[in-house]
Amino acid sequence: MAAAQDWNALSDAAFRDAFRDLVEGRLPAELRFMRKQRPLFDEVAVWYHALAEEGWLAPVWPVEHGGMGLSPAKHMIYVEEWGRLGCPRIPDHGIGLVGPLLLEHGTEEQKAYYMPRVLSGEHVWCQGYSEPGSGSDLASLRTSAVRDGDEFVVNGQKIWTTLAHCANWIFALVRTSRDEKVRQKGITVLLIDMTTPGVTVRPIANLRGETDFCEVFFDDVRVPVGNVVGEIDQGWNVAKSVLGHERIFLGATTRPEIAIERLEKLAQAKGAFSDPAFRSRYARHRLDLYDLGSAFDRFAKVLREGGELGADVSMLKIFTTELYQRITEETLTLADEDARYFDDIDAGNGKVDAMNLFLDSRAPAIFGGSNEIQRNILAKAVLKLPG
Amino acid sequence: MPQAQLDDPEGTLAMLRDSVATLASRFPGPASVRAKRAAGGDRDAALWQAMAEAGWTAILLPEELGGAGLTLAEQVVVSEALGRALISEPVAISAVLSSRLLAEAAQSRERDRLAAGLVDGSLALAPAWIDALGRAMTAQTTPGGGFSLTGTKRHVDLALSASDFLVTADMADGVGLFAVRAGGPGMSVETAAGVDGAVIGTVRLERCAVPVEALITSAPSLDELLEEPIAAARVALAAELAGIASRAVEITIDYTKGRVQFGKPIASFQVIQHRLVDMWTDAEFACAAVVNAVETLALGDDRAGRMAVLAAKARAGDAAVSVCRRAVHLHGAMGFTDESDIGLYLKRATGLNATLGQPEDLRLQFVNLERAA
Ligand SMILES: Cc1cc2nc3c(=O)[nH]c(=O)nc-3n(C[C@H](O)[C@H](O)[C@H](O)COP(=O)(O)OP(=O)(O)OC[C@H]3O[C@@H](n4cnc5c(N)ncnc54)[C@H](O)[C@@H]3O)c2cc1C
Repeated sequence: MAAAQDWNALSDAAFRDAFRDLVEGRLPAELRFMRKQRPLFDEVAVWYHALAEEGWLAPVWPVEHGGMGLSPAKHMIYVEEWGRLGCPRIPDHGIGLVGPLLLEHGTEEQKAYYMPRVLSGEHVWCQGYSEPGSGSDLASLRTSAVRDGDEFVVNGQKIWTTLAHCANWIFALVRTSRDEKVRQKGITVLLIDMTTPGVTVRPIANLRGETDFCEVFFDDVRVPVGNVVGEIDQGWNVAKSVLGHERIFLGATTRPEIAIERLEKLAQAKGAFSDPAFRSRYARHRLDLYDLGSAFDRFAKVLREGGELGADVSMLKIFTTELYQRITEETLTLADEDARYFDDIDAGNGKVDAMNLFLDSRAPAIFGGSNEIQRNILAKAVLKLPG
Repeated sequence: MPQAQLDDPEGTLAMLRDSVATLASRFPGPASVRAKRAAGGDRDAALWQAMAEAGWTAILLPEELGGAGLTLAEQVVVSEALGRALISEPVAISAVLSSRLLAEAAQSRERDRLAAGLVDGSLALAPAWIDALGRAMTAQTTPGGGFSLTGTKRHVDLALSASDFLVTADMADGVGLFAVRAGGPGMSVETAAGVDGAVIGTVRLERCAVPVEALITSAPSLDELLEEPIAAARVALAAELAGIASRAVEITIDYTKGRVQFGKPIASFQVIQHRLVDMWTDAEFACAAVVNAVETLALGDDRAGRMAVLAAKARAGDAAVSVCRRAVHLHGAMGFTDESDIGLYLKRATGLNATLGQPEDLRLQFVNLERAA
């Protein structure tokens, strides 16, 4: 591992340059601007290990745990450059969720055991929250963990578990006791080794014809009590506190940026920019994206100045996911008869994955708290509306 | 729930609608789509045969050609019901467009062979009228008395299983419609996956020789050759799209009534109720636009008829795609799976919406036509 360095002391420009050098030096060309949204671990392992070797894998983990210890401001640059340079998504639940979870609520033993194994890629994590009966209403979850001596016996089912088929560990919310009044009570965060007998994974094909998510079944799975994170029955609060400043990234401009790049490419190929009707429709999307940048900056500034995000940040998530949809819809309109194809279309100046993005854009409005749930949060927590 | 409300004094349209529903129960649309997609095919042969036996491949083919000689009202009822059932065969193109193209041709053995095959399902006709950029199809007379065709056609349905392509080509004095047998020398076919499960073809002809009888009809321009057949196909597409929109609303109402979160069916949340009401309204408007097209065309005013067709295809296409988008969203992550049928409805709606003109373009044509007066 490279010698620890105070990245935060670098100027923003120098930090960007350092990232670019890293990408140019270590990211294989065929992994840049990958069409696949959710590559499996093995498909991007080269990049994962390169980041680890260079000390760039865990941007916000503290330096003593092998992270870069980036401030939110530098972290935003990191995420921005990642997207701009076309780095592929890596299985990032270990870095992005398990690390922060353990840092905040884990024991010293848990940190020492799990965190290095995330960095080495030995442990690949997935997130087991949603269940068939518990999506938006997560607190109704029913996968049970019953105490038996030093172990919990887990029974139940998780669903929509992204990348479960290439993960070997899952951090799951399980029910350890039932409180009729407060359903959020009695939930516990449990780290489960997926190679334990009784764990079964079944991949689910999605609208794009890829298998990014899975069902995970637990049938009398025995998990040591030591794998609980935080306190038993307090898992709801443990899980909720994990996403701090990172909630801003749910509202990042990345997806609509990718989409508008495709729209522009197709428009260029078709000469559509000289059609006033198209130009006017394009202008609306372009300024939506531009103004999303302004709104994003408003929240980024709070973070740069050391403040904390409020519930109002949800407005970004709604706007960016819906803009992503509108732009991909516009691309299909422009594609004309070519919008009949599932396969990428030949735009003369390269392929454009118009249908792929249109279908993909259905998902972000659903995951990460659906847009209706986000609006409910804004209505209650920000506008303080009655009811 | 939403349905095209056509005058039906004898109840014959209702019977026709029922018979499509009966066929759909024998050949469930979603299963057929999945099988076709898995096989990389472009049709469900057994399903097409059953439709031919029921008389639905030649509804608009004149009786003197052996067709049913019925009207757009019957076609709309069948197409709408097929859309509802997600029976995703290229009826609007291979049956409707072909029927109307053949109706324009003067009597000949070749025309009658094609018509008979369309009626009994023994031939698969694949109209090919969209030229690839820079590869416009041309027909040259050959010393032997036949023609030589060169050019490339895109977006061809049934490109793999076609027995005969109905190819438009520029000639010295206008445009000809040629029947070109599949698989002959000088022809090559490439396919790409369509969004609705069937592959779509690009057909290349390179000095492809056809006999003089292959020219089944001609016109001074492509517009004159295609205008009426395309109008009929657009009405059929609009009806299919309206059927898709209507059924997607029903499926989503059922799903949200059954899906419980926060201790209640999600359909009890007001925001979801309003969304469903809007989706239902869109489907109703699509059905009304389709009926308007049928009725306006029947009155015989050419310009009014053309405008009504443009409006119907635009309205139904927009309605189907946007209803299905919202339907997928209201299914949550379930809607993002391949195994849930609602995604197949969205895909079929997207594919048909992009066939024979997208709404944006059709609306402009409507306004241009209206203001040209
Ligand atoms: C691509 C993808 C990846 C995912 N990855 C993971 C993962 O790795 N791990 C994991 O645990 N989960 C994952 N999820 C699941 C995700 O968290 C859920 O899909 C989400 O919480 C919504 O739940 P649901 O799908 O059950 O929809 P439901 O909760 O059933 O919602 C259905 C519809 O009803 C609406 N609705 C629900 N409640 C209300 C209300 N009160 N008011 C108004 N409207 C409402 C919703 O907005 C939605 O449109 C993933 C989902 C997707 C699509």
